[in-house]
Amino acid sequence: MRYETVIGLEVHVELATKSKIFCSCSAHSFGAEPNDHVCPACCGMPGMLPVVNRRVVDYGMKAGLMLNCHINRTTTFDKKSYYYPDLPAAYQTTQWFAPVAVNGLVEIETSKGKKNVRIKQIHMEEDAGKLVHDIREDTTHVDFNRTSVPLIEIVSQPDLSSAEEVEAYLERLKMLLRYAKVAECEMAHGTMRCDVNLSVRPEGSDKLGVRTEMKNMNSVEAIKRAIEYETARHIDALENGTEVLVQETRRWDDIKGKSFAMRTKETAGDYRYFPDPNVMPVVIDDEWFESISATLPEFPEVKKARYTEELGLGEYDADQLTKSIALCECFETAYEACGSAKDAANWMISEVMSILNARKMTYDMLDINGRALGELIVLVSSGKVGRANGKKILAAMFDDNTILPEKYAEANGFIVSNDTGLIEKTVKAAIEADPKAVSDYKSGKEKAIMSIFGKCMKELRGNCDPQVLRKILIDTINNM
Amino acid sequence: MERDTLRRLEMLNQLSLTDAQKEDVIAFFAARDAELKTLEAIDTSDTERMVHVMPIMTVVRDDVIIKTFSREALQQGAPETDEGYWCVPRVVE
Repeated sequence: MRYETVIGLEVHVELATKSKIFCSCSAHSFGAEPNDHVCPACCGMPGMLPVVNRRVVDYGMKAGLMLNCHINRTTTFDKKSYYYPDLPAAYQTTQWFAPVAVNGLVEIETSKGKKNVRIKQIHMEEDAGKLVHDIREDTTHVDFNRTSVPLIEIVSQPDLSSAEEVEAYLERLKMLLRYAKVAECEMAHGTMRCDVNLSVRPEGSDKLGVRTEMKNMNSVEAIKRAIEYETARHIDALENGTEVLVQETRRWDDIKGKSFAMRTKETAGDYRYFPDPNVMPVVIDDEWFESISATLPEFPEVKKARYTEELGLGEYDADQLTKSIALCECFETAYEACGSAKDAANWMISEVMSILNARKMTYDMLDINGRALGELIVLVSSGKVGRANGKKILAAMFDDNTILPEKYAEANGFIVSNDTGLIEKTVKAAIEADPKAVSDYKSGKEKAIMSIFGKCMKELRGNCDPQVLRKILIDTINNM
Repeated sequence: MERDTLRRLEMLNQLSLTDAQKEDVIAFFAARDAELKTLEAIDTSDTERMVHVMPIMTVVRDDVIIKTFSREALQQGAPETDEGYWCVPRVVE
């Protein structure tokens, strides 16, 4: 019998706010001492009152609009009760009855073509703290710096059917949320985490099989491996009766390449959801809604079409540039400053992206000044700075984004001088040092002078117009 | 309210009811169930969903970091701390 895999994802994304969702503590604890960003509210002390961070609602709404969701204009918070030491209040404040966004749609593309994935809902909630188990054997240490850091949970319908589709879906989510600048979405940093709900059923059946959930997966590769393993385990159980499948939560061990049962799956009743009496409904009025709608970015496909149709870029260039909003913004600012979309695209793709790759930086980590890049492009295209030295200036701009290219070029002797006296002197010395190249050239091997040309350019530190140098070199040899 | 549901709720809420209390709870929910069935018979398809019993809304604050408490102040009442962490009995994962 042939089987099909049915997958739904719950993706937790940490929102890029400065402060936590219900208190004013910093939401960023990287490098901080344990429990340094805490207060009575995020420590769950009795009597504390949460106050909603407006930007969390802004970002929740924006994420919803990016994923084509309906925005609930009255959205409420609820208590999800469970006991665990990383949750100091013994409940998580989340959204159950009226989440901020519902009924969305995300289009993905795989080797099998395009497909729509329905979004059931996006809800806003607070993160839990961190437990540390390896300081002492008899005790677990608790750090509440992460409690109440704002998250959105994006819940898909079970519309995915393979590891490839899951990967495409996650990449699409990342791209859209990064375009909207609501989240970093970096699985390696824990700012995007994923729970995978998976079941298997005979192909063509409309009845869902027994569902298992794998929690807190934090790399796309691990998710793909887990899906493949879990699919095989389910099919084996159904075909060969190797085990009885039960609805449960499982832990994926990426080193062993296996999943292990953690606990039987909780149902909503176990969490005793009820409206949080400490947080009144959030009412999004027209003015608030419009202010967020107005800040939505151009979608990647719209941007790509504009780059090809209005700016005259090729499909490949437009595709490369629209891979990240950081690349797009740098390109567009550089284009404004230099006036040539093709030159700006060329520098972005051949030089900027090369440096990013060489430094093992993601495209979203790009932090150079686009205006300065535009000025650099003008300096090189006008012949004021040689291309090789232009690349050196660009590398320096990656280290210090306040660098002004022209001043940097002047300070480092990168301005092309075209001092013909100096060029002639340099050419004469190079010719005397390489008589064989000269005789080869004179005997018809035109390329023979390239070694002399290169030596001259190196001696002049790239600060001369290649055309001027070439002419002086050929004239000098011909007059010998 | 089924007896299994009640047993589960007892467990979740760490309660232990006497047989008499269980009968009271079951009878109470049976009456509420009948009331709810009456309400469910009403067509509410054109009625806007109520999210709160009072016409009130939350206040929101700006996304600004304000440090209000020191760790030492918050951990004054803790039974045990170590290197800035709260300590709890070991959790087996």
